[in-house]
Amino acid sequence: MLGISFDAPEHNRAFAEKFSFPFRLLCDTSRDIAIAYGAARSRRDRFPARYTYVIGPDGRILEALDTSSPASQAAEILARR
Amino acid sequence: MGLLRKLLAFLHLQGHGELLAVGARAPAFELPDHTGASVRLSDFAGRTVVLWFYPKADTPG
Repeated sequence: MLGISFDAPEHNRAFAEKFSFPFRLLCDTSRDIAIAYGAARSRRDRFPARYTYVIGPDGRILEALDTSSPASQAAEILARR
Repeated sequence: MGLLRKLLAFLHLQGHGELLAVGARAPAFELPDHTGASVRLSDFAGRTVVLWFYPKADTPG
């Protein structure tokens, strides 16, 4: 599990320490990776969309989720499994 | 796409492009993590990775 946002490392470090996340938070300050993954359209975007990807061992996308409404998304995922 | 989302996108507050297709190759990346250490997608070859885009550190939801 990797979190990813546009925040600088110092902001993400405080976030990670506050909640003791057991995963790393990546800092896409240029927005380039969010744009590559469709979670942003422009370097002017202030925040990425709430998209979640599951990437398989071969580097291909297994799941692509718009997690704007997490509860309904969770039910959908569970229903498929 | 809801009206609120269209407005946020118009104002460049929250970006919304197209979700990538299932089966597509995940774009490579190399980024610093919250400790400053470099992370590459290729570091996880052979393992399943969940990549979670979130709007901003320390915000609700």
